[in-house]
Amino acid sequence: MEKFEGCPGSRMMDFKKTDEANTGPAVGKIKSQLTQWPIQMHLINPSAPYYQGADVLLTADCVAYALGDFHRDYLKDKSIAIACPKLDQGQDVYLEKIKAWIDEAKINTLTVLIMQVPCCGGLLNLAQQAADGAKRKVPIKYVVVGVQGEILQEEWAAA
Amino acid sequence: MDEYFNKGIKEIIEKFPEVEDVLNDYDIGCGPCNVGICLLKDIVAIHRLPEDQERQLMARIAKAIDPDRDIRIPRAEKKITAKSEELKYSPPMKKLVDEHVLIKRWLALIPEVVENLDVESEEGRRLILEGIDMIRSYADKYHHAKEEDILFKYFDEEADIIKVMHEDHTHGRSLVKEMLAALDKRDAKTIAANLMAYRELLTEHIRKEDEILYPWMDNQLSTHQVGELFSKFGEVDRQIDVSPGKYEVFIDQLEQKFAPQEG
Repeated sequence: MEKFEGCPGSRMMDFKKTDEANTGPAVGKIKSQLTQWPIQMHLINPSAPYYQGADVLLTADCVAYALGDFHRDYLKDKSIAIACPKLDQGQDVYLEKIKAWIDEAKINTLTVLIMQVPCCGGLLNLAQQAADGAKRKVPIKYVVVGVQGEILQEEWAAA
Repeated sequence: MDEYFNKGIKEIIEKFPEVEDVLNDYDIGCGPCNVGICLLKDIVAIHRLPEDQERQLMARIAKAIDPDRDIRIPRAEKKITAKSEELKYSPPMKKLVDEHVLIKRWLALIPEVVENLDVESEEGRRLILEGIDMIRSYADKYHHAKEEDILFKYFDEEADIIKVMHEDHTHGRSLVKEMLAALDKRDAKTIAANLMAYRELLTEHIRKEDEILYPWMDNQLSTHQVGELFSKFGEVDRQIDVSPGKYEVFIDQLEQKFAPQEG
């Protein structure tokens, strides 16, 4: 029987020995691609102008720390909101805000970025539940990010 | 080898027939294509083989073109098949693939329709007209129009693969036109021949789209473009005067009519 090591979402891991980040190509100062404020799901207004007809990212809090190229590869040209499906309270408000993105702000697409840890799947479920309850349909993409920043899965879910 | 990379596949196969067998081994069915203007380099890129298989394919083609050259053919790590994984489409592409399902059900019924072709009775002629309406309204106006008026505009329409798709659509339309003329003359032979030719044309056309064109397009489209396409396809569905339900009923009834009798 394997030794129980606790919740995979909070298990301690040390990546220093496999660190390849410092051996990549040298780059200058990286410009932020963030074009709005606020970004936390409780604080955002789903009717804000930058969500109207936008390609929206719903990103788990940890993603931007794990994914080295988050700004260039994912945030560029998108609007964003962040949330933690494990720790945030009052997520029924999130459900209504996602529905409002779809039906009222008439967003173009929704991309849900989550970490590989099991608890993060809750954010994708929340997005799908909101989409199922919305009157409009939009394409939903999900991206699963490994704890060392690798893209484990990137697929379109059914609209 | 580089000079052949930029040549049309038909020209290459005519000169080196073994290339067709090599391509077949990787489920790349260029041999029967009657256009064959796609460049070898585009065909290799569009099929998105795993890297080791692509290297092996290129080495085998090089060997077929120049057998005397000492070319080491690398071993593919995975089993040779371009369709080892289930294809996953973006929502707008999935919509087009789903629309193919009803067209494929109609194509499957064509041999029975041809076998029972009746140009003399009113009922027989009505069935032929309903079949032609299925082709013109559902397959062409409802489905192909989404491709020609919307989807293809996102790509270089001069690209060989898009030209081939346009040519298939045009060929289908000319077969339909001939069928209508033949129906006026009670010419059952021409109607039967054209229905079978349409079946063959569309079967191969749909296979190319489902397995090659749409996955390739999905790879090229940005997230923003996928959202736009989805929205534009939805707009067409809301505005077009074609009811898919009508054609589902037609196909359901035809399937029941030609279903094997039990007992």
